[in-house]
Amino acid sequence: MDVSLIIIGICIVLAIALLVIYVRFGRSEEPFRFDIGERAPQASGGKDDSNDKGIFKRLVSLSLGVAGVFATLLARLASMQLLSEEDYHKLAENNRTSTIYTQAPRGRILDRNGIEIVGNRPSLTVVAIPDVVDKDIEIQLLANLLGMPSQALRRKLQDTSLGHQSLRVLSVDVSRRIVAYLGEHPGMFPGVSVQERTQRSYPHHELAAHVVGYTGTVTQEQLDASKKAIDEGEVGAIEYRSGDVVGQAGVELQYESSLQGVRGEQLVHVDAHGKILDFAGVVDPEAGSDVVLTLDTTIQKVAEESLRKTIEQVRKEGYVATGGSVIAIDCTNGEILALANYPTYAPSRFVGGIAASDWDALTDPKAQWPLMNRAISGQYPSGSVIKPLSSFAGLNFGVAQTDSSWYCSGWWSWSGKRSDSVIMKCWYEAGHGAMNIPDGITFSCDVVFYEIGKGFFNSENKEGLQETFRQYGLGALTGVDLPSEAAGRIPDAQWKWNYFKDASDEARAWKGGDNCNIAIGQGDMLVTLIQMACAYCSIANKGAIWRPHVLKGIRSRLGTGLVSEYKPEVTITVEEEDYFRTLIDRGMQGVVYRESPSQTAHWKSLNVEIHGKTGTAEQPGGDPIGWFIGFGPAEAPRYVVGSHVDRVLQGASSAMYVVRDVFGAIYGQPDPLSPMTK
Amino acid sequence: MEATLRRQTLQFANPRKRLVTDASSRHAQLKKKYFDNLYLPQLIPALLLLLLSVITMWTAARVLTTPNFLMHLAGMALGAVGAWMFWRYDCRRFSNLVLILFVASCLFMIMPKIPGLGYEAKGMVGWVKLGFFRFQPSEPGKIFVIFLMASAAAQYNGKIERFRDYCKLCATLFVPLIMILPIDLGTGLIILVTGAVIIMCSGAKRSWIIATILLLVTVVALVVITSTLDGFYHILKPYQMKRLTNFLNPEGDVTESGYNLRQSKIAVGSGGLFGKGIGFGYQAQSGFLPEAHTDFIFGLYAEQFGFVGSVLLLLLFAWMIFATISLAMKTENLFMKFVLVGCVALWTFQVLQNVGMCMGIMPITGIPLPFLSYGSSSMISQIALIGIVQSAWRHRPRTA
Repeated sequence: MDVSLIIIGICIVLAIALLVIYVRFGRSEEPFRFDIGERAPQASGGKDDSNDKGIFKRLVSLSLGVAGVFATLLARLASMQLLSEEDYHKLAENNRTSTIYTQAPRGRILDRNGIEIVGNRPSLTVVAIPDVVDKDIEIQLLANLLGMPSQALRRKLQDTSLGHQSLRVLSVDVSRRIVAYLGEHPGMFPGVSVQERTQRSYPHHELAAHVVGYTGTVTQEQLDASKKAIDEGEVGAIEYRSGDVVGQAGVELQYESSLQGVRGEQLVHVDAHGKILDFAGVVDPEAGSDVVLTLDTTIQKVAEESLRKTIEQVRKEGYVATGGSVIAIDCTNGEILALANYPTYAPSRFVGGIAASDWDALTDPKAQWPLMNRAISGQYPSGSVIKPLSSFAGLNFGVAQTDSSWYCSGWWSWSGKRSDSVIMKCWYEAGHGAMNIPDGITFSCDVVFYEIGKGFFNSENKEGLQETFRQYGLGALTGVDLPSEAAGRIPDAQWKWNYFKDASDEARAWKGGDNCNIAIGQGDMLVTLIQMACAYCSIANKGAIWRPHVLKGIRSRLGTGLVSEYKPEVTITVEEEDYFRTLIDRGMQGVVYRESPSQTAHWKSLNVEIHGKTGTAEQPGGDPIGWFIGFGPAEAPRYVVGSHVDRVLQGASSAMYVVRDVFGAIYGQPDPLSPMTK
Repeated sequence: MEATLRRQTLQFANPRKRLVTDASSRHAQLKKKYFDNLYLPQLIPALLLLLLSVITMWTAARVLTTPNFLMHLAGMALGAVGAWMFWRYDCRRFSNLVLILFVASCLFMIMPKIPGLGYEAKGMVGWVKLGFFRFQPSEPGKIFVIFLMASAAAQYNGKIERFRDYCKLCATLFVPLIMILPIDLGTGLIILVTGAVIIMCSGAKRSWIIATILLLVTVVALVVITSTLDGFYHILKPYQMKRLTNFLNPEGDVTESGYNLRQSKIAVGSGGLFGKGIGFGYQAQSGFLPEAHTDFIFGLYAEQFGFVGSVLLLLLFAWMIFATISLAMKTENLFMKFVLVGCVALWTFQVLQNVGMCMGIMPITGIPLPFLSYGSSSMISQIALIGIVQSAWRHRPRTA
């Protein structure tokens, strides 16, 4: 009892006492009686008329009050049932309808010949109606049967991400034993059933993992983005629901809108307890479209195996060989025939949600980023593979002439004197002797390109080198139809000045040495493999670079034809003098057939003439990155194959093997000397 | 039969007209005299309301498990018996029984609290169990309160001149009121409004009435305010407070009573102009609308029959109530006048409270809709009230 109650109590008692005293003993002669009985009413003295009139007036007021009440009720009724009917109707429909969603199978991903790279496989899935969550004994039995903690099972039963009435997925890919047990004991597990559903399958396991990518549960950002796209009325925007499986990388992400099917919807009417009363409209799930890629499984397989074997061999020779990439492009239309990276991963690990331990392993820095598509996202110094472009630049801007010749003594300085503070070396420290442009490319003589770099520094076109590189598409996205492409970097004076903000003005200024560096693809220059391959496409094509792409088309649902085809387009056309091209082509022919007998030995076994360029780009913190890019057939180039391997001795003894193997796969003439065949 | 009619004719017919000897004309006369004892302007809407009640409960019983259609009809039958008894009886005779009525009113109000009689179950307030019978004594109690207040007020011949008499009237109402309030707030409100309207019509001075209303408002405000403040005794239970706040702030709550209110508004609103039709009132029949056959029966009705049906229902109520007012104006007996006023106040307030609650303009209380809500106690008492109104007509003084 608190004080306030006592006070209120006392007040009430006092009030009642006062009232009683007043009524009983108040200014009145007679005592209190309920019934005034036979005595004449006090007011009887007056005229009956006046009282009747008074009561009549009060009754009129009463009827006005009643009229007011009914008017209020009718007004409210009209406002609810006539004016706001639609709103309430919607609310009522929301109350009683509920939607059950079924996932549609995603489209398959096929190679150019229709071979399945990513498919769907039936998966035996144990599902349960939501009511099972209340049955503790059944949950315990199920947990024992499926081999998972009952708490985890309970969480799955409470998962409403696919709709409140949807069947809950308890376990995917269950064994036949469990299916048999459930079938034999139907009374033990009411509400639990086994369904055949589809899951992503990878018949070739890790093949083209970086191209096809992987799937995963839709993220909150993707949900928000899809909602925004729909709100803005974007055509073809997909409405995602949480729990949907969507593409998260590679083609799965890039062509999500084609691959994603239309989810099945079953409209049901429910009562207040969520019990399904009847079924309304049905939208059957519609499988996504099959996507046909430009990849050729045969070439892709060789590319991957060769890359792996080569790296294994390089490792045996004592180099770290952290990773590598290979790409094969049809330079006549931009189709990517093969694209492989090392290290790689198995996309199947992402099916049904990736385990935390798997994810940690894949994202561990020690694993060298197996999820990264190095061929398009990895930015590296180009090294000597840039030299054909530097030559074009030198010839075009008149820094070098077709008959120019330089003398390589194994070292080089700005003034040509040993006394210079900076002495730059040719990779061949014994010296190449007299060198012209084709020889410079063939033997990859650095001195030739130091001279070209110096020439540009001293000429009017100080940034002619960069201009040429950019003309060939370096420093910009190639526009390949794969996510997370990197742009690389072509350094120039302005970039250097802005980039090294904290350095002294002297250090920030562009110097002749910088020019020499980029002329041999070193210094601050960064390129991606696909950029370099595209630049070589231009050389091979004598001008045109077709946008590289992996999509051939979307397959029609019936038959094997394509309903929509990728339309190849030329993104860049580089004009060069024909005799410059001949000159440089001769240099690149020399790389394959003249530079060294051991190099040539690999190509002797191929009856198609391939021209190319090796590269060995030094990089900070370890061994160089080895490059090789080649194209062929020399008379009418069709294929450009490029590769790089990180942390090796040189390109000629690593990346070149991979390129040779890929050409071997294209022409059916394997290299007997390749690490793959050993 | 013939004898009955003959006796009635002898008793009530104008003696001069009895001289007419033509047989067919005599039969017509008898018929006319028989209907002369029924106040049709009030009886017809009441019977139509009962017809609507039968239809509504039939539709409700088809889809809901709780209501028993036959029980509903049985309640009506019992009510009809009660009405017939009141109709035959000259209710004016109650006017001298103030003390007895007072004791009876208090007894009926306090009955659920009497040990051995009270019956409690989930969601049932103020029930009494007598052998096999379970009923709500406050329902017949309301009739006693009407008689009590009418008889107390009628003593002053339509004009109260002394404040002491006014206080006496108020105190007379206050006692049964204070007894029912802790048991059933809703019935307490009905009694308060009914009694207050009778007192207002009884000729009390306007200033006294205004002062009383101000006092009441102050007390209610105090009760509400202290119930929300910590450190004070909470007279209103938390659920009662919640109902009050729900009504004032319907969107922002997820409690049960808020849910009930929302669902009831959806049921009413989604009915539209012509309603969804019998058997298509999903709000009620799929269980979204709680208490669809009792407190929220208007939601069930309005969902199925729409605006047209709801207007019909309200107009029937209005017709019945205005007919009663008109009878009150005609009746010469002051006591019966006040009884009729009490009936008017009771019906009007119950319709306002119940229908208003279903549409979210009144707080949620467990007040049944007269004639329509499921529940025999309420049905019997309400039909008995019809009999009382009819009695006022039948036992009117007739000029020769």
